[in-house]
Amino acid sequence: MKLHPMSVPYRSLSRSLSTGSLFFFVGIIASPGGAGGNLLVIGAMVVVGIVLGIAYEYAYYKRFRYEITPDTFDVASGVVSRRDREVPVRRIQNVDVRQNVLQRALGIAAVHVETAGGGETEITLQYVDEAEANRLQRQLRNGSSSRSRSRATAGDRETTDDLESGDTRPGEDELLFEIRRNELAVLSVFTIDPGASALATIALSFASGFDPTTLVPIDLLEADLPGTGLIALAWAVLIFLFAAWVLSAVLTFSRYYGFRLTRVGDELHYERGLLQRYSGTIPLEKVQTLTIEESIPFRWFGYGALAVETAGYAPGQSGSRGTESAIPLAERGRVRRLARSIEPFEREDLERAPLRARERYAFRYIGVLCLIMGVGYLLATYTEVVEDWHAFAVLLFVVPVAAHLKWANRGFQFGDRYFFARTGFWRRTTKIVPYYRVQSVVYQQTLFQRRRRLASITADTASSAAFFGRAATAYDIDVTRALQVQQGLNERLQERLLERKRRRQLDRWFDGDDVGSGVSVDDDQKSHTDGLDIDGLDGSETTNGGHGSRKESPTEPEPPDEHEHERRDEPNETRDRPSSEDDRDRTDGRDSSNSQ
Amino acid sequence: MERLNPRVRPVWVLLAIVRSGIFGGFVVGGAVAFTRGTDVGIDESLLVWSAVALAVVVLIVRVVIAWLRYSVWRFEVRADSLYIERGVLTRVKTVVPFVRVQHVDSQRGPIERSVGLATVVVYTAGSRSADVAIPGLTPDRAETLREELRQLAIESEGEDAV
Repeated sequence: MKLHPMSVPYRSLSRSLSTGSLFFFVGIIASPGGAGGNLLVIGAMVVVGIVLGIAYEYAYYKRFRYEITPDTFDVASGVVSRRDREVPVRRIQNVDVRQNVLQRALGIAAVHVETAGGGETEITLQYVDEAEANRLQRQLRNGSSSRSRSRATAGDRETTDDLESGDTRPGEDELLFEIRRNELAVLSVFTIDPGASALATIALSFASGFDPTTLVPIDLLEADLPGTGLIALAWAVLIFLFAAWVLSAVLTFSRYYGFRLTRVGDELHYERGLLQRYSGTIPLEKVQTLTIEESIPFRWFGYGALAVETAGYAPGQSGSRGTESAIPLAERGRVRRLARSIEPFEREDLERAPLRARERYAFRYIGVLCLIMGVGYLLATYTEVVEDWHAFAVLLFVVPVAAHLKWANRGFQFGDRYFFARTGFWRRTTKIVPYYRVQSVVYQQTLFQRRRRLASITADTASSAAFFGRAATAYDIDVTRALQVQQGLNERLQERLLERKRRRQLDRWFDGDDVGSGVSVDDDQKSHTDGLDIDGLDGSETTNGGHGSRKESPTEPEPPDEHEHERRDEPNETRDRPSSEDDRDRTDGRDSSNSQ
Repeated sequence: MERLNPRVRPVWVLLAIVRSGIFGGFVVGGAVAFTRGTDVGIDESLLVWSAVALAVVVLIVRVVIAWLRYSVWRFEVRADSLYIERGVLTRVKTVVPFVRVQHVDSQRGPIERSVGLATVVVYTAGSRSADVAIPGLTPDRAETLREELRQLAIESEGEDAV
């Protein structure tokens, strides 16, 4: 498959802007006329730059090929140096579609494919047709989510379906979340966009004609009061902050406008943006950690945010900024409900750190204040820079409050299936880690913690968000409890993995029969999808034939009776399955074939 | 619990001396350059001497920490995980389940080679403690440990790491 033909002019345009300007400067320097520059030469250089750009983009378009095979997504690209890349579909973590205003007008979109490992986006398609982008997104996530599907029938059928309708089948999407007007308003007003301050600086310098003083109403300040300079400065700062705030609100509004989160099968699908449209998928099977963030102004209004982190990247990292997330802002109850629909975690009932942790924070703050004042004192005695070093002493009154708030906002829960860790007063984050996602467990005890017999436990996961944000760390818990939790985390990880493995084997053995029966695996949402979406397969005999030849045979087959038992427990035994006698035979047969 | 080979101790002490030497060089050199270049109201020799004192303190602290590090370092190959205890100021105890081991390296740097030691590095897909290194092993022990960990990682055959 090739890219959309419109990608040639679009890419050329964006490229010509860069190469053209480059040649513009080269032309100025190289023009024989000296300082003034020969208009003709400059023009010619610019044209050469543009033509070269177009030629390159045409060649790029000509040589770019992508293809979805049953197991891999192949991309061959490159004009000068060629690169053939095959990404196993199962390894794909996220598929994003991005469109800005111009691209929307042209009906093209950029597709980004992320896998775990490596900081960069693994595959970028610039640009394909809108419908094609959606089809790719759909097909890739179908492929990546069902590892045990038989591709022969189901895969083909779905492909043709997609080609014909070009859209998702109705009734399959389940709308999980749509941002409400009040939520968007609160979000826009209170979010500080890091880019806004830079933009505000530029805007203000334009508005003032590059002379910042023009914005300050000198007339008002002509009164010969002492400290006029200070007022002028304060005024300038005020204007700047206001401009930055307005811009930040506008940027946030346009970024999250029309935010929708839907669930398609076992994938989350999000869309957002007013001018620039973003859409992406988060495979539920690959969720590493859930993060509920309740920052200070939002928490007062009863709002919170939810981030779903995969190993590819958390949705926030796409634009190298951490302000975006799975749900930018919603009422607390909705956030909890949605988080539960992704990971059915139990009630939050966090254990608090022991009271001596609070003492520790108080001592820490006092220590920091003393240090500041000590430095201030030294500077005051030896230089004239600082005078009122003791002004900081006022802050000592705040110390108990600060220590208490820090302590009260920390906690952890060593639950049945999930590990919770909460921290932060200003930006309170609650991390929810399923045990089977834990990579390693780290116990840390600083010198100061040791004095108070406290320690911190981190449940490390492969979530790439942890590179930038916080890890799931339970701070300042009692030493004995910490060691207990560390042991327990490892044990539960092993237990859960074993359970998942057993269930996967079950799915593998019976997935011919389980078709559409909606196996009720209440406790562990994601694993049951392995065997689920194999609709269109009813002849269990044929599938069994296929499965028999599968290479990855279960290593330690369970005694057949156990499966028998578990299978009977499944609710919807509507299909006419082989009788249990036959079943037993079949399993036994499989066993013997394995042991051979 | 297994301990490291005692030969690693002088290596760590030597490294500490070299590193704090570099740090001290920068600090004292900076102080001297500062007092030469500008004329502040501070007694010049005081600044230089305090820089020297700082460098000496850093040197002593680092050497002591390097010396103590050996006595703290412990590791154990358990039934289902690798357990490591280390850290003088901040005590760190790491549990790495074998299921999560991606690959295992054994390394020998120039200094390690000169005293006949090796390091085993265990990689996981985790983001924080992405790799765990066990230094101060004899080359034989490093080989056997690597092989042991490799076997255990294969036996515990988990699902995909991510």
